[in-house]
Amino acid sequence: MIPEKGHPPFEELEHTADLRLGVHGGSLEELFIHAAQGMFHLMRCQPQGEGQAVARQVALESYDLEALLVDWLNELIYLREANQECYDAYEIIRLEPTRLEAIVRGTTHHPPQKVIKAATFSGLEIVRDAADYGVTITFDV
Amino acid sequence: MIAKQEFTQVEPFLYELPAGKRQGMRVPARIYADEHLLEMALGDRSVEQLVNTATLPGVARYALAMPDVHEGYGFPIGGVAATRLPEGIISPGGVGYDINCGVRLLTSTIEVEALRPHMEKLMSALFKNVASGVGSSGPLRLSEGDLRALLEKGSAWAVGRGYGSKEDYEHTEDSGCMEAADASAVSRQALQRGHDQVGTLGSGNHFLEIDEVVEVYDQEVARTFGLVPGFACIWIHCGSRGLGHQVCTDAVRTMQSAMTKYNIRVPDRELACVPFDSPEGRQYFAAMACAANYAWANRQVITHLVRQSVEQTLAGRIKNLNLRVLYDVCHNIAKVERHEVDGKAVELCVHRKGATRAFGPGRQEVPRDYRALGQPVLIPGSMGTGSYVLVGTAKAMQDTFGSTCHGAGRVMSRKGAKQSIRGETLRAELERAGIVVRAGSMSGLAEEAPSAYKDLESVVNVVHKSGMSRKVARTRPLGVIKG
Repeated sequence: MIPEKGHPPFEELEHTADLRLGVHGGSLEELFIHAAQGMFHLMRCQPQGEGQAVARQVALESYDLEALLVDWLNELIYLREANQECYDAYEIIRLEPTRLEAIVRGTTHHPPQKVIKAATFSGLEIVRDAADYGVTITFDV
Repeated sequence: MIAKQEFTQVEPFLYELPAGKRQGMRVPARIYADEHLLEMALGDRSVEQLVNTATLPGVARYALAMPDVHEGYGFPIGGVAATRLPEGIISPGGVGYDINCGVRLLTSTIEVEALRPHMEKLMSALFKNVASGVGSSGPLRLSEGDLRALLEKGSAWAVGRGYGSKEDYEHTEDSGCMEAADASAVSRQALQRGHDQVGTLGSGNHFLEIDEVVEVYDQEVARTFGLVPGFACIWIHCGSRGLGHQVCTDAVRTMQSAMTKYNIRVPDRELACVPFDSPEGRQYFAAMACAANYAWANRQVITHLVRQSVEQTLAGRIKNLNLRVLYDVCHNIAKVERHEVDGKAVELCVHRKGATRAFGPGRQEVPRDYRALGQPVLIPGSMGTGSYVLVGTAKAMQDTFGSTCHGAGRVMSRKGAKQSIRGETLRAELERAGIVVRAGSMSGLAEEAPSAYKDLESVVNVVHKSGMSRKVARTRPLGVIKG
């Protein structure tokens, strides 16, 4: 399913057992950032005590563009859980069809209310029309 | 879209879509269901996903869906497919992200009427002692060396550390350890995620539940299993936590590019797969076995924490607690097993995704004290509706690669469930029905409302009447803990 033009950067869509997000962006960089923002929106991170600012570097090489998007989100899931952090700012330094470098920034002591196990390839296809890039992402919870 | 009339009814509760009905199908697709459950399965992508599994290289006999089937990733949840070894494939999509999500049932000699006055106190003790909910970490902080040992020994590692007895893992599927496990196959990221989550339930649909045995359908089997009406039992439902999720994520990623090496194309990228007997296939199987062992060690440590909580609360008040592991089953796993195909016993890689092993009488894999009867099958219901214990059958060995359903299956989205009922309202309803509730999140509780799931009785009746498992007993909740 392709999000229509004029929709917000991301919106939660219906799914029987898990979570589904419709994402769009004016560029691929924006799409990747909005996907990350949408995923953390679904996680509903809440501050718990004094958090410290953190920054993490991400460098990925993937099979194709869709795999790169899935790998990007799964890398954030791993970093979040391994370091007990939540991220809310994303700087894409380099984005090519199979490579990504970025810096993600966030805070410690911001645990999520909803755990996402993984971003999946289910129904995922990045589609470009005249103005936008769009994608639907299904998350296993 | 696949229509109901494309199916042939093979048996009263078995429908088949012949191979060739869709391009690429190597074998038929079969679904166990009554008419209503079949219509529900046709209402989402379950059947389409089932047809996709029938296209996998090396798939044997047929691809199967259980009556609790619903849409998943790659395989439908409630899907079973076996591939011939050594040339057939292995697919992490046929196992799932929560490797060895499974269920353990403890029986007891605690009379429910004696327990009732202490329920609130016991539930509070369990809620305190067994970590649940998002981001929960457990009582153990494992060094890398300890974690690697746990991944290769499973339940026995936990018992060796004092968390239970040999009898516990002797009553666990695969004795709580898949021998193919090799900790060197597990990524650094997975190890990082796993080091502090042993002894935790997690969240989502995971739970810990105190139930009463309320009805027995097979006296002889129930007596052997230790299920007596009026006595308490405890269900534990959880899996391999972040470590298992990462193992699956790693494998799906690796196989995206590896597939081209083996000239494999799949209709759904979540069905990414490689030949079982390939470096990538063997690495995934070894890592998957590690995650399975992690889940068994997890449930073993939780068993110990449950016993401690029961002892702390009831010692001196109730004699003879006797919390014993009836059995422990996986719902998400791939196993190497021998089954009959075209009249010959062959080695298969059996993928069970949201499905339970249900081996029949006489199988060596079934614990000695149950072997003459068959393997216990544990089917948890949705919160508040009760659960079933069944037993595996010879018919399952003949027809379903020794498999059966795993639960009720969702019919309503989490968003829909939260819109239809508030967590606080649901808790009040459950408490009015005499069920003590402890939940870390009211939102999470609402998502697991009974109305979000299929009718478990219908699902169990299909597996019973089809002969793949036989009803033994039903239990009803007294107390529920949700993460």
